[in-house]
Amino acid sequence: MTQFYRNYLAVAVFAVAALGMVGAMLGVGRLVRPNRPQPEKYIAYEAGSDPIRGFGQSNVRYYVYALLFVMFDVEAVFIFPWAINLEALGVSALISMIVFILVLTLGLVYAWRKGVLRWA
Amino acid sequence: MKVHWDLHALAPLVAVTVTIVVVLIADFFFEYRERFKTYQLAAFGTLAALIPIITLARDGGTRSLFGGAFVVDTYTLAFQGFFLIVAYVTLLISVDHIGEGDYYQGEFYVLVLTSTLGMMIMAGARDLITIFVALEMISIPTFVLAGWRKHDTRSNEAAVKYFIIGVLSSAVMLYGISMVYGLSGSTSLSGIAEYAGSAGTPALLSIAIFLTIVGFAFKISAVPFHFWAPDTYDGAPIPVTAFLSVASKAGGFVALLNVIFFGFYASHTSWQPIIWVLAALSMTVGNLVAIRQTSIVRMLAYSSIAQGGFMLVPFAVAGVGSSKHASFEAVIVYILIYGAMNLGMFACVIAAMRRTQSDEISSFGGMSKYSPILAVMTSAFLFSLAGIPPLAGWFAKFVMFRSVLDAGTTPAVILGVIAALNSVIAFFYYAGVARAIWFRETPEGIDLRPLKTPFALNAAIAITGSFVLIVGIYPQVIARLGELAGAAL
Repeated sequence: MTQFYRNYLAVAVFAVAALGMVGAMLGVGRLVRPNRPQPEKYIAYEAGSDPIRGFGQSNVRYYVYALLFVMFDVEAVFIFPWAINLEALGVSALISMIVFILVLTLGLVYAWRKGVLRWA
Repeated sequence: MKVHWDLHALAPLVAVTVTIVVVLIADFFFEYRERFKTYQLAAFGTLAALIPIITLARDGGTRSLFGGAFVVDTYTLAFQGFFLIVAYVTLLISVDHIGEGDYYQGEFYVLVLTSTLGMMIMAGARDLITIFVALEMISIPTFVLAGWRKHDTRSNEAAVKYFIIGVLSSAVMLYGISMVYGLSGSTSLSGIAEYAGSAGTPALLSIAIFLTIVGFAFKISAVPFHFWAPDTYDGAPIPVTAFLSVASKAGGFVALLNVIFFGFYASHTSWQPIIWVLAALSMTVGNLVAIRQTSIVRMLAYSSIAQGGFMLVPFAVAGVGSSKHASFEAVIVYILIYGAMNLGMFACVIAAMRRTQSDEISSFGGMSKYSPILAVMTSAFLFSLAGIPPLAGWFAKFVMFRSVLDAGTTPAVILGVIAALNSVIAFFYYAGVARAIWFRETPEGIDLRPLKTPFALNAAIAITGSFVLIVGIYPQVIARLGELAGAAL
């Protein structure tokens, strides 16, 4: 049973340390920083231009393009190490990479067929 | 370094992957009215994937792939088969709901199958990275499925809550996993088991195990990490709720089985107490809150939290050497039986709601008047969930209690008493629904002509219903399956 308490003492110390860290950082910030409230400071920062109320500032269509970009960006992460070791890995690795790229391309074809790429 | 491919061992996964690709491509070419054909393709592919599972089971033996990160043995095959059948029944109960609701059909089946693929990978995963990838593969499609009714704010809320909790739990779990790797120098479960066996329990390992299990606790909605489940289950379309509460939950439990029994087992002084607390809280809180629910879907959400608590009980006593095997088998048997009875229950709710158009328990009053067969089946699933013989639920509870008695330690016995008390509490609210169905008056405005349910829904109820009845009367069937799967440990 003592072993049990010792194990959980560590978990408790860990939890207290985590809470203490957050508290200390926020607390020190509060003590040190000057406090001069101005209405402008409470406006959402949007690259210098005045925000218009609510959502709808940025076009939701950008999101789809960002998503498609990330898809092929991540693909590159897998292709580089594969390309460097291609000779050592042999034919089976080539086949698996082709399958991988085809499945990824299917995502693009899907977006295309569903008319997501049309900017209208 | 040549990559060796054991294609036979991968065949079930390949079959499902091919089905996903074919359904997605086919969806481009079908006219709007022909979209139901995507369902036929998906159902066919799901059943076809069962064939290699049967041939692999006949071959027997253990196949280790990718440097031991993926293992195909009896345990893996049992769960892969289970997940495929669950996916098939989910397709059966969703086809009319999704088709009539004018939702995107092809995508729905693709997402259900993708999540199923993740579960099948999870069944064979013996490496923390594979487990993590499989868990994400299970979760991400279900985030989308939960928000399937795009224009319904409750469905949106369900998806957002589920997504945020899912991401948070992944982060907590990854933090734990990173510490485990830092300590043991290995991500493979066998390497971790070796480390846990030799190192005793350093304090940092306790923290790592604690964080990893908290991550899983979110996924299996164990109290106190359950608060997302009722809202998500309530807001999602009901076939999706059925899928979440059965398949997704079972996926989380399989992950927990893998991690605890193949990896952390030797450090049982670290994980046993956490799971003990989670099990006791889940059973008690789940049941007590379920009593107060007036909506059947919310009641089933809390009941599934409580059932999750019962499934955690064997984990909490597994650290005692003599009960290791009994606990492992008990969890497997409980998951298989829970899957059948809960899916069947949801199929009945979907069938009844075609008439009542409401998920209030009171609106189910007098169901026996317009659909006696459905009333019988609903009551059967309710009593099975409550654990009344001769329905499958009693055997699930029986193996759970047997594992507790095998362990026989004081904490195990206390947990057994809590579980017994909760079985009694659970009976109240399950029987309450049955009472409404048989003895209450039919509410105003409900058509009393006989209810016709679509063929697919009837098939789903027949499959799960016959399983619940057969296993209840001949539990040897499932006990043998549990034994075979347990032999992989």
